[in-house]
Parts: sequence; C-alpha cells; structure tokens
Amino acid sequence: MGAFAEHPAAAGRIARQDLYAFDNLALDGIDALLFSMHADQRFLAARAARIAAYIERGGTVVANGHIAYPYLPEVGGYIPSPGQGLKDLAIHRVAAHPIWDGVSEQDLTFRRGVAGFYGRGGHQPPAGATVVHTVGAQAQPLDIIYRVGAGRVLLHGGNDLWQYGGNDSTARIAPQLIGWLFGGAA
Amino acid sequence: MTLAVLDGGTFYHHDTIYGPRYRALFDRAIYVRDMAIRDLDGVNLLIVPDRINPDLLREHRGLLLAFLAAGKTLVVFGENEAETWAPGVAWTARPTNFWWWLEADAQPPHRLLDPGHPLFQAVPFVDTIWHFHGVLAAPAGARPLIEVPPEEDAAGGVLLYEDRVTTAGRMIVSTLDPFYHHGSGFMPATTRFLDGFLPWAREQAAG
Repeated sequence: MGAFAEHPAAAGRIARQDLYAFDNLALDGIDALLFSMHADQRFLAARAARIAAYIERGGTVVANGHIAYPYLPEVGGYIPSPGQGLKDLAIHRVAAHPIWDGVSEQDLTFRRGVAGFYGRGGHQPPAGATVVHTVGAQAQPLDIIYRVGAGRVLLHGGNDLWQYGGNDSTARIAPQLIGWLFGGAA
Repeated sequence: MTLAVLDGGTFYHHDTIYGPRYRALFDRAIYVRDMAIRDLDGVNLLIVPDRINPDLLREHRGLLLAFLAAGKTLVVFGENEAETWAPGVAWTARPTNFWWWLEADAQPPHRLLDPGHPLFQAVPFVDTIWHFHGVLAAPAGARPLIEVPPEEDAAGGVLLYEDRVTTAGRMIVSTLDPFYHHGSGFMPATTRFLDGFLPWAREQAAG
C-alpha cells in the first residue's frame, strides 16, 4: 500500500490509515476506501452497515483477497479453484475495463512462468455486476465491479491489485486503477 | 491441556484456523484484538501465527510475558515483528528469494542443525523449506534447529529455534509463515508443514 500511495499518478491523494482507526475516520469527503488482502475482516464485518451506507451515498470501495467474513454488500463468499493445474489457474478476460487496458491475460496468469499469483478462486457476484476476469475452466469470477446505490465496489479476489508492476504489462494496473478511482467512470 | 491459537481476523487466518483441515486441532481460537487474561486460563501452548498485527502483540506483551513466566509454551511464527515484543528475539531482514526453486541447481540454503529434535519426527525437514523474509539469532543457551548461511551481502542466521532459557517457559520461534500461505491456498510445502506441526504442537500441549 505504501508504494501505491506514493505512485506519481496518485499525486498525494492516497493516504494510509490504521484500519483500527476506522471508527474515527470521517467518511464524508473520502472518495474511495481501499482494503488490503491483509485486512482484519472480523473487524470490517462488524462495520459492514457503515461500509454499505458509505457506498450507497456514492463512495467507492476496492477490496482485495478472499471474503471470509461478510463486510461488503451483496457479494458472496470465496470459492477456491478446484485444483492447482494451469487449467484451474488461467486468467481469462471476459469484459474490457480501463483498469486493465493493455494488460495481457498472459501476464496476469504467469509470473516467472508460475501461475496462480493473481488469483486462485472466485466470489459469487451480485446480479448485474460486471465480471472482468475469471479463473480457470469453471470461469470463477475474480475481478468483480458492481454498483450499490450511488457508489461502486471493485472486488479483486486475489493478491493486492496495487502490488503488480513488474517489467510487464501488469505495470499498467496501478496508474489505471488510480485513474478509475479519481476519474469516476464505471 | 489446551492448545490455543491467536486469530488476526484476516481471510488466511480464518481459513487455516477454522477451515476443516485443522479446526479440530485447536482447542481455542482467540481473536487477538479482544484477547484478555482469562482467554489464557488452562492454555499450555499458545500459537502466534504469522502476520498477526504487531501493534496488537505489543499491546498484549504483558499477557504473553506472564504466560511464559508461568512456564507455558509460546510458538511464534514469522512476520510479527517478534523482536519488538518477544523476549530474546533478534531478527535481521534479508531479501526474499521467492524463486529459489526455479533456479538451475535449486538447492535451498537451509541447514538442519539438530536432526535429533523430536519436532523433526513430526515435520520432515524438507517440509520446512520455503522462502524466508529474514533471519533470527538464537539467544545463548537456546537450541537452534534450522539455519541459513550468509549469502553475498545477506546475513546468515537461524530460521527456527527453541528457547528454554530466556524465560521460565518455552519459546519456539521461527521466521516461517505457514498460516498465511496455507490459508491463501498457494504453497503446498506450508500445508505439509502444518500437517506435521499442528498435531505435534497438540501433543506438546498435552504434556
């Protein structure tokens, strides 16, 4: 998160906050909440109503990792892929989206020839959600974007989206995610 | 006779602790944010999994020291900033090579120092081998179990030790991070490690 907050495209607009200070955080005036895969979801699930109300009023939430405790509105729990073979772990793009513009499925699927880093399972999306990427032969939804009230949710069911940025096309994700966060497009 | 484990509330702690594979092995799971002295009543062995929030561990340091002073066993895994709250722990960062197993000769640097330690009857040495994020220095009188040598500019040190001298209790300290990787469903060696380690820890808790 530190490197992402310091990304030049963020231009100082991303601030790191202690999760456990969430109850004291004034959400009015905050455009987006970014939750790492390492977040304490028990803590967040106890605040699911506040998070949902924030989204309904027009806020954006980006969440990473597997949902173990329900802290996001409408989305289902995590279902791991049935195996560890390439057919179970290949990433497929099923809808174009500006966050992943120019990012190849090959680079999402493999890192140094090893599959599985980007995501290894999926979540049941809400009705009307846009699924951008799926995992494996069973097409499990991995990157899910949906609207709640006036706001929007991006759930990436794998390792933190902002940690990608090697010497391949995944380096486009961080600046394009920042563009999406502050640009207001669906 | 009780084996307890701290729960950091992340999805991978949830999967490892409450998933069907291991949940029967834990007598008690303690959500670390709410930990209180009564939670440790009757506990003989407490596991601090990897990637528990270090702020909370520092906050609860008094409880953990009292637990050790009572002669109990504390297992501390990696990525917990244990050097800031656990007695006798000294840690040095070392660049992580996640990819050692893809390299030409693929020989991990790990050395088994004490093959006679009973832990290795439950956990084959090979199942302790994956990447590491830093190295420990075992306190004088402690029993170092696995080490790695220095490499180029990176410090050598211990990845796993047992310490019965620094406190009245027993500490098993490691840089390893199996709760995160097993609970993320990604690194099979970490699952094999827990398959051996957790039943062994349960035996230790039973005395």
